[in-house]
Amino acid sequence: MIQQTQFTKTVGNAAEINELLRRYGVKFGIYKNGVFNEQFFPFDPIPRVITAEDFASMEKGLIQRVDALNEFLFDIYHDKKIVKDGIIPEDFIYISKGYLAECEGITPKNKIYSHISGIDLVQAKDGEWYILEDNLRIPSGASYPLIARELTRIAAPLAFAENEIVDNRGYAQLLKETMEHSNCGGIRAILTPGRYNAAYFEHSYLAEHTGSVLVQNDELFVEDNVLYHRTYSGGKTRIGVLYRRIADEYLDPLTFLPESLIGIPNLMEAYRSGNVGIINAPGNGVADDKGIYYFVPKMIKYYLGEEPILKNAPTYLPFYTEDMKYVMDNLEKLVIKDVAEAGGYGVVFGSELSKEKLEEFRKTIIAEPRRFIAQEVIDFLDLPILENGDGMGDTQTVMRKADLRAFVLSGEKTRVWASGLTRFSRNPASFVVNSSQGGGFKDTWVLKQVNSEQ
Amino acid sequence: MSTISKEHSDRLYWLGRYTERFFTTLRALDKMFDKMIGKTHVYPEYLNYFGLADTYTDDRDFIRSFLFDMSNLNSAASCLERAYDNGIVLREEISTESLSFLQIAKDTLKKAENNGSIRLSLLPIEDIIYSFWGSVNEHIFDDEIRNIIYIGKTVERLDLYMRMKYPYEKVKLEYVRLLKNLRRVPKGTPYRYNTAQLSVIEETLGTREDYERGTGGAIDSLGHLFDTSEVYA
Repeated sequence: MIQQTQFTKTVGNAAEINELLRRYGVKFGIYKNGVFNEQFFPFDPIPRVITAEDFASMEKGLIQRVDALNEFLFDIYHDKKIVKDGIIPEDFIYISKGYLAECEGITPKNKIYSHISGIDLVQAKDGEWYILEDNLRIPSGASYPLIARELTRIAAPLAFAENEIVDNRGYAQLLKETMEHSNCGGIRAILTPGRYNAAYFEHSYLAEHTGSVLVQNDELFVEDNVLYHRTYSGGKTRIGVLYRRIADEYLDPLTFLPESLIGIPNLMEAYRSGNVGIINAPGNGVADDKGIYYFVPKMIKYYLGEEPILKNAPTYLPFYTEDMKYVMDNLEKLVIKDVAEAGGYGVVFGSELSKEKLEEFRKTIIAEPRRFIAQEVIDFLDLPILENGDGMGDTQTVMRKADLRAFVLSGEKTRVWASGLTRFSRNPASFVVNSSQGGGFKDTWVLKQVNSEQ
Repeated sequence: MSTISKEHSDRLYWLGRYTERFFTTLRALDKMFDKMIGKTHVYPEYLNYFGLADTYTDDRDFIRSFLFDMSNLNSAASCLERAYDNGIVLREEISTESLSFLQIAKDTLKKAENNGSIRLSLLPIEDIIYSFWGSVNEHIFDDEIRNIIYIGKTVERLDLYMRMKYPYEKVKLEYVRLLKNLRRVPKGTPYRYNTAQLSVIEETLGTREDYERGTGGAIDSLGHLFDTSEVYA
């Protein structure tokens, strides 16, 4: 395994890079007490480094996993063989909030449901990578390392001259090809809920770099089951593929939540008719449900007849009697996740609860066993972070928890972007790395050649 | 040609207007700064241009309010914020690079607020805004999109120049520039001008004497130049 610390000094000019990120508006929105604020996403100049050998293995594992998840989605919205064959209990499908009966029988173009999959991994201290969760609905974050790489190449060219790093700047092209593969005839569009969405920077940046039109719902309409963009001259332009960045339930008020003000009436009819591709497909939530996560290794064996290459974090489902017993006996050392929550919310570390709270939580799990999963706390590999790298004080290198979101794009082939979003916790005591919880990000270098142990 | 929605065409127009309003406001305030050297209470002249009440305690209070006060809708900071607000939803049309110049202008203005030598610290903003326009020219390949921004820019400039009683020759040049931009607008789109309103401006700027008789009607007509009754005709 490569020693991260050897790269501590390779990318300098941290303050300048953060200044450039400010200049280019690399922000994310956050609501606090009902008030919208835009924050700059703190960037750490010390890259995460992944060797070519490590990446090759991870790449195979990710492709395998996403291919199996796509098979699963097709199966669940058609024959449900995996349920009939007793691999996954029916409860886990139909109780899942992500399962949408309205998507039954719909086959998206090329049978791809998850076009852009954000798979979260952590590396343990022994170098082993573990999958933490799959994000198959609207995974965000690719734009941050993408623009950071552009800017670090300007601010620290030597770092790139001296290290053999795979160029990651082709993400927009990869995304464009993925969108085109699902295009049912028309222009490419990215649907955003608007300026005050947390990931608005990403929506607009990806639209710019893929040559797509960034749209909001009131610019769109469906006529004769075809989706159109309403132009300012009163005309219309057909949309062939819609990369939507709004949640399933808000997509179409005539199919899902009638109170949605950001959806497009009859969009689902246009989609069902095969007149527009939707990226990612509605209904994917059934496959990235934290409860379903437990079954992904079984899916790989079932659909692909292969052994899983990447491991899940050791996970227990209180739904099963045996697992419930283990969870009850070991609650204080496990991390418990509410399957309905995301963004780092609904995550409870047993070790952080008082005796009273632990007992209270125990009762909740017993009452609602399907609502939670429990996982062993993985001893993450800490990564070096340059504290005060934004030039606001004396700098020093400290070690912090970090994860990696890998982006897997499924088009003509399933491909893994040779980069990813490495997020880290700025709080030394925390495992939670989400930007909404104050985390930062760093570049992820995939090396071209295998580096020897140093 | 890309597809432009009504919302985005409005945003493009107002991006042009607010960026120009910011720029011309800043330049006018710089002139006020200069007039204040060795004199006091010169700012009412500026307020009179816009029919604004004098609620300021002194020159410093006036200058700080019109430069930095976000609650003053006529301040440079407020205009720039509105330019940025329009620009941020147009990234894929105007480019990240163009947008970045508005961010730099915001940062520079913010820093100037706490600088002992305000006038000196504002100097780079002129360069930044010229860079913004250069970037717009460089990065926008769609003539229609670029033209909408330029129409906003020239409408605003003409409006402010007339209010601030700029010399006739200067105003006339801006009017000619506006006409060139208007003639590029495709038929059936919202920035086709209203001919009746344009005639009023034309008459006001016919000769120097016409101009000096008063510009109130022309300023009013500029505000109705794109009245939708004729827009879709």
